[in-house]
Amino acid sequence: MKRLWMGVRKRLRGAGELLAKIWAHRQGKVGLIMVTLLVLVAIFAPYIAPYNPYDVSQRTTKGLPPSWQHPLGTTINTGQDIFSMLVYGTRVSLIVGVTSGVCIAIVGSILGVAAGYLGGAVDTLIMRIVDIMLVIPTLPLVIVLTNVLGRDFWIIILIFVALGWTGLARTIRSLVLVLKNTNYVKAAELAGASRWHIMIRHILPGTSHLVIMSTALSSAGIMVAEAGLSFLGLGDPTAISWGKMLAEAQSGGALLFGAWWWIFAPGLGIFLAVFGFMRVGLVLEEIANPRMKRTSSVYKLFRSLDSSYVEEVFRSMDDYQRIGVEGVSSGGGQSRGTGLEA
Amino acid sequence: MGEGRAVEQVLKLRNLKVVFPTDYGLIRAVEGVDLDIYHRECVALVGESGCGKSVTSQAVMRLLDSPPALIRMDVLEFDGRDLTQCTEAEMQEIRGKELAMIFQDAMTSLNPVMTVGNQIDEMYRRHYGDSKQAAREKTVHALELIGIPEPKERANSFPHQLSGGMRQRVLLAMAFACMPKLIIADEPTTALDVTIQAQVLKTLRGMQRGCGTSLLLVTHDLSVVAKMADRVYVMYAGKIVEKAPVKELFTNPHHPYTVGLMAAVPRLTDEKKKFTQIPGTVPSPVHKPSGCYFHPRCEYATERCRREMPRLEPMGRDRQVRCFHPLGVGGKSSD
Amino acid sequence: MTEIMTLRNVSVHFPVRGFLPFLKKGEIQAVSDVSLGVRRGEIFGLVGESGCGKTTLANTMVGLVKPTAGQVLFEGVDLHSLPREEFKKTRRRMQMIFQDPFSSLNPRFNVYQLVSEPMVIRGEDDEETMKARVVELLEMVGLSAQDLYRYPSDFSGGQRQRIGIARAISLNPTFLVCDEPVSALDVSIHAQILNLLLELQERLNLTYVFISHNLADVKKMCDRLAVMYLGKLMEAGDADKIFARPLHPYTQALIAAVLDIYFSEEREIVVLPGDTPSPINPPPGCRFWQRCPKAMRGCKTVPPAFLEVEEDHFVACHLVNGFPNQDLPEGFDQPMVGREKVPGR
Repeated sequence: MKRLWMGVRKRLRGAGELLAKIWAHRQGKVGLIMVTLLVLVAIFAPYIAPYNPYDVSQRTTKGLPPSWQHPLGTTINTGQDIFSMLVYGTRVSLIVGVTSGVCIAIVGSILGVAAGYLGGAVDTLIMRIVDIMLVIPTLPLVIVLTNVLGRDFWIIILIFVALGWTGLARTIRSLVLVLKNTNYVKAAELAGASRWHIMIRHILPGTSHLVIMSTALSSAGIMVAEAGLSFLGLGDPTAISWGKMLAEAQSGGALLFGAWWWIFAPGLGIFLAVFGFMRVGLVLEEIANPRMKRTSSVYKLFRSLDSSYVEEVFRSMDDYQRIGVEGVSSGGGQSRGTGLEA
Repeated sequence: MGEGRAVEQVLKLRNLKVVFPTDYGLIRAVEGVDLDIYHRECVALVGESGCGKSVTSQAVMRLLDSPPALIRMDVLEFDGRDLTQCTEAEMQEIRGKELAMIFQDAMTSLNPVMTVGNQIDEMYRRHYGDSKQAAREKTVHALELIGIPEPKERANSFPHQLSGGMRQRVLLAMAFACMPKLIIADEPTTALDVTIQAQVLKTLRGMQRGCGTSLLLVTHDLSVVAKMADRVYVMYAGKIVEKAPVKELFTNPHHPYTVGLMAAVPRLTDEKKKFTQIPGTVPSPVHKPSGCYFHPRCEYATERCRREMPRLEPMGRDRQVRCFHPLGVGGKSSD
Repeated sequence: MTEIMTLRNVSVHFPVRGFLPFLKKGEIQAVSDVSLGVRRGEIFGLVGESGCGKTTLANTMVGLVKPTAGQVLFEGVDLHSLPREEFKKTRRRMQMIFQDPFSSLNPRFNVYQLVSEPMVIRGEDDEETMKARVVELLEMVGLSAQDLYRYPSDFSGGQRQRIGIARAISLNPTFLVCDEPVSALDVSIHAQILNLLLELQERLNLTYVFISHNLADVKKMCDRLAVMYLGKLMEAGDADKIFARPLHPYTQALIAAVLDIYFSEEREIVVLPGDTPSPINPPPGCRFWQRCPKAMRGCKTVPPAFLEVEEDHFVACHLVNGFPNQDLPEGFDQPMVGREKVPGR
């Protein structure tokens, strides 16, 4: 039990270190700020949104352009406050995006590790499924599935996960094939490790950077995909989502009436969310790539060096009388240690 | 090869100092190194991993990036030309054509998606403006010189299709292609099998003497030095501790570290089951000992060695030693 | 004199698949028909260059690779005939030290986790015992308790190799395969690590198989040895006898290629021409014929037998043993002219 707790603490510390590393990157800072803001907006939506977004009773306020009362205007057909809709829409996008991203990471990495490490029939089976799923066109499949299974919020997430795990599984499998042949795995096998031990303690941690990065990037992708689905009318009809806002904007004639704010708002939302997540994902990728690891911290060190200290260090390296063809002695150099003997 | 004659000097390096800032502190990689390389000679820079020899060779080529490194040098003259004043563009002209480098791992030095022939062709086309055909002719000739069988066909192979020894020889061909004045070889045979190492070294020595190129050989392996070098610089913890012509170094070494290094080389004539090791370990480049850097590991160390850093003193014809109690010079014997 | 490890006609061949999955294009004959015995308490050298199969042979000895033919007997028992649990338990008595100190330690584990992992896998000890044992092991290899929670990246190559050694001896093995343990280290560090191995052998009663291509190290370390080329044994037996009178041309070439630091004016470098060929579809006859300076015409097609020339000194060479009494080609004992030896690839 104690070992489990120590393991958890280590993971948390590792997570903390990772966040610090992302923060150190200029782009990472931007990404983290945006993601945090979005999360806060999603959580505190009821306090941030000035109006109830579902309120369709205000018929007098239809089609208003942005103003102080309605920062992003109102919808043409129902008079809903667009800013509030945007705020509430954050919830759907984030939940769908992040949940799907995390689930894809879990499913993809487990299947990828299994395929790569266990090989044989397991590998063949999983890879054939991956191949089949790649061949089937996604959109028609989604349409069929939503018709069959319904358009419930969680069903949508399930569909995203079911279609999205394949890419990660493939990538992880390639990495596992490499990790499998490292000497430290061989050493563990020699000590009698079970395959389970090797997969959990050596292989899976070796893929962690890939998994984390993929989670960030696929969350971004899924948010866009969700918006697309809602736009096509395949999403959850009861939830407010940015995609749905776009759909309503189109059908409500926003373009016709020049109500640019109605289109701008959800577009902005999607852009900000995707941008934030992608920044974090790309920075994670850089961090994971060992060759790029040191550059930014080294530059910082470099600039913060005290130049007089550096000069002193250099001076301390001189022999206090240099022998050379020229017979030059460098005056003023200090020799290391004390006591200059005669 | 003495200092008295007016032999053309290919490289003159004075007082090179390199420092790397890190989270743990300042790494004092190179502390005031002088090097002289003359025409047609092979100079060896010998030392264990971490002594600063690779950093020195990169600094000479001006390939050391200045962040993260902090570099100082008084003089860097190549073939009479002051390299510290050259722009990067001018350096790129010089590198490859007059100053070439051979690295340890051929696989990472060669472009895996270009045939070896094309890579060598590029040298000729870039530095001499040769046409494709002219360059290819020269390439095939170079490969033949290096001792690669069926050079015309081999030129169309990719690096991964060649064995380790062949790849290393392709690197040699590329380095010698433009008949440079100086070639810097950093551990050129360390990763190779014994018989292949012999082949590559023999080729390298033959090419070097035949083309009249000077060679700076950077290595940790004294047995390679014994076969290849004319003069030797021994380096320890960023400083040169001994400089001597090769015969004198091996028959009468002066610095205790040199003696220790030589004793540590396993020889076929040695006693069984007894390996002579230098006690202790190489100092961390961040925390170096006081006084003479070698004193914690030296059996002849005195109080003075603990307090003071000895300077490089001349000791005979073309020799220098950095030691208060050098061996093999009247008094103490080295074995 | 009991043998702790016996190999009987061991072959390890890997198929090379052609374009269609069931079509076999050829075979990588990594190890072919190798028989040898390692005596308890000795250091047995395995010498050869890249492609000769020594690593595959080492992996086969410790059960990481299953031979396609032949038997591997550990302490008299056929390793691969054991049921799974017995196999795992037996395997704990044989361990391995790897060549590359940088890839043999998981960079995400600290020293304590690395050295204790075999014990964790075995699952018989509690935290306290393991920690004490790890400290004991670290001190045995020249490190200290202060290094317990540091990571491999903090250590030099030689120190990492020591960590690997500590891990290997943690379960009290009797048999240790050292796969080029010092080849990736500076020559000056070889002595430290090899001295450590010698010390541990005495202290813990170990038997070593020492794989290396540095013949000077091999000569000083080993009691007996075997020379391999392209998967086959060229010469084997008592080390002193082999070095005193190397009979096989390849052994002679390996010894001649050793660069000595004794300074001689001519500074001769002896070269064996040609490249290490690939073990895919090797030729019939002697596998060394293409590079052999003394090859005869018959060497190309007639495989040499591995015969005992003097006590505990075996060689597989027609020059030494003479050609067998069988259907021999024309001019079989005439020396080969250069043109006949152009190596194909």
